[in-house]
Amino acid sequence: MIEFRDVTLAYGERVVLDRLSFKAQFHEKVAILGGSGEGKTTILRLVLGLVHPDDGKIIINGQDITDLSETQVRDVRMNFSIVFQEGALFDSMNVRENVAFSLREYTKYSEDEIEERVRSLLKRLAIEDAIELMTAELSGGMQRRVAIARSLAAGEPRMMLYDEPTTGLDPLTSENICKLIGDLSTGEPPGRPGFIIVTHKVTDAARVAERFMYIRSGRIVFDGAIDALKNTADAELRSFISELHVA
Amino acid sequence: MKVRELILRVQDFYLLSVNAPLNVLRRPLYMRDTVEQMDYMGTGSLFIVVLVSLFIGMALSLQISAELTALGLKMYTGRIVGLAIIREIGPVAIALSFAGRVGSGITSEIGSMVLGHQVDILRVHGVNPLKKLVTPRVVGAVLMLPVLTVIGDAVSLLGGYYISVFVSHQSGSFYWSQIRDIMNFKNIFSGVIKPFLFGYLIACISCYMGLSARGGARGLRKATTSAVVISTIMIIITDFVLTRVLLFALGERV
Repeated sequence: MIEFRDVTLAYGERVVLDRLSFKAQFHEKVAILGGSGEGKTTILRLVLGLVHPDDGKIIINGQDITDLSETQVRDVRMNFSIVFQEGALFDSMNVRENVAFSLREYTKYSEDEIEERVRSLLKRLAIEDAIELMTAELSGGMQRRVAIARSLAAGEPRMMLYDEPTTGLDPLTSENICKLIGDLSTGEPPGRPGFIIVTHKVTDAARVAERFMYIRSGRIVFDGAIDALKNTADAELRSFISELHVA
Repeated sequence: MKVRELILRVQDFYLLSVNAPLNVLRRPLYMRDTVEQMDYMGTGSLFIVVLVSLFIGMALSLQISAELTALGLKMYTGRIVGLAIIREIGPVAIALSFAGRVGSGITSEIGSMVLGHQVDILRVHGVNPLKKLVTPRVVGAVLMLPVLTVIGDAVSLLGGYYISVFVSHQSGSFYWSQIRDIMNFKNIFSGVIKPFLFGYLIACISCYMGLSARGGARGLRKATTSAVVISTIMIIITDFVLTRVLLFALGERV
């Protein structure tokens, strides 16, 4: 389980998260909504111990990771896989090398085993034909798929973290990526892998998530299911989710 | 910038500067990345170094010939040009060119990796960014800048030779005999030791600025500019300090 207890974080003078608290099980399908600069990506980086909060505690699976060192936090990170906005692929590598990256760093597989695993992952994500392409030659949707393949390469995580996975994609590609996100989290709780998706695209979040949080001024001002979200009394949130009513 | 933030940045820079070279002793070694960086820094900078050095050698020879002709001492052009190039102007000018080309490249590359979350991906996959990104660049710069300096010095001396012989109408063999005279341990040691330190400084400063880039394209521009400006200042200050120390250490009187 992930638990944030009164987490506060500021970049310089700007307070990004202000005593933010929530709990989420690994099998949950959570969407964190909010406008640009509201600290959504920061939450994912805090979960992975990539940044440390100024105040408060972050507890993963009962372990306080707030002040763990880079070496100590590695085991905690094994629970997760992350797909950053626009994929964060290494542009000096082709698709094969990008997906094989974590296998080469993490595991002692032979080159043949790595090749087999890379091909099987790319096939699963329907991008096997792109194996030789460089990052710059991939479309936005393909970049996200390669990023997902890379995140799954080192092993099946207990929870996926998606940072704006559909930003910059056309509606059809967004829908396909959402379907893929859903397909990767099939099964019954508590065994299934869950996810946290942070996005400002409400319709995409509604396609895949079961629980919704809305962040404003560094705090969670809404936490609930889709029906509660649609019927919220918060005027600003109603405006933010207006496209849901249109849909 | 607040005092606390400044102290933290100095501390981070210190840790990076100390750990980057020490990582050479720790596995994994990332040899492929190191060779790639050496190629980018060495082969990639060769043309600019040759061009800059050639014109520095020619300009210096031209100016010194003119001054010495007025004193009736122009046959000593080779000696003064050689000494100035090998001990001072060669290492500094090539280090400044290196900072402009390679230093800015390092900062913008690492900075865009930070902003594009690629450095986060390295950390998530258990890769130490200092080992993977910084150490190969520090090793590359420390090894390639001295090589470039030696090549640049040679090209500068050739440029000086061209001006001395074909413009100032001096004896070519006397020019080279003057250069041979100054090719002693003290002069060569003073000229070759500097680029090792300059390379180390340029790589550490540029990597640090890249890793601390924040705030999109504007932040990247600021980081790249800062890397080149700070490297330039540090090269010039370090050159002065090193010159003073070397003169003292080698027993030369001022």
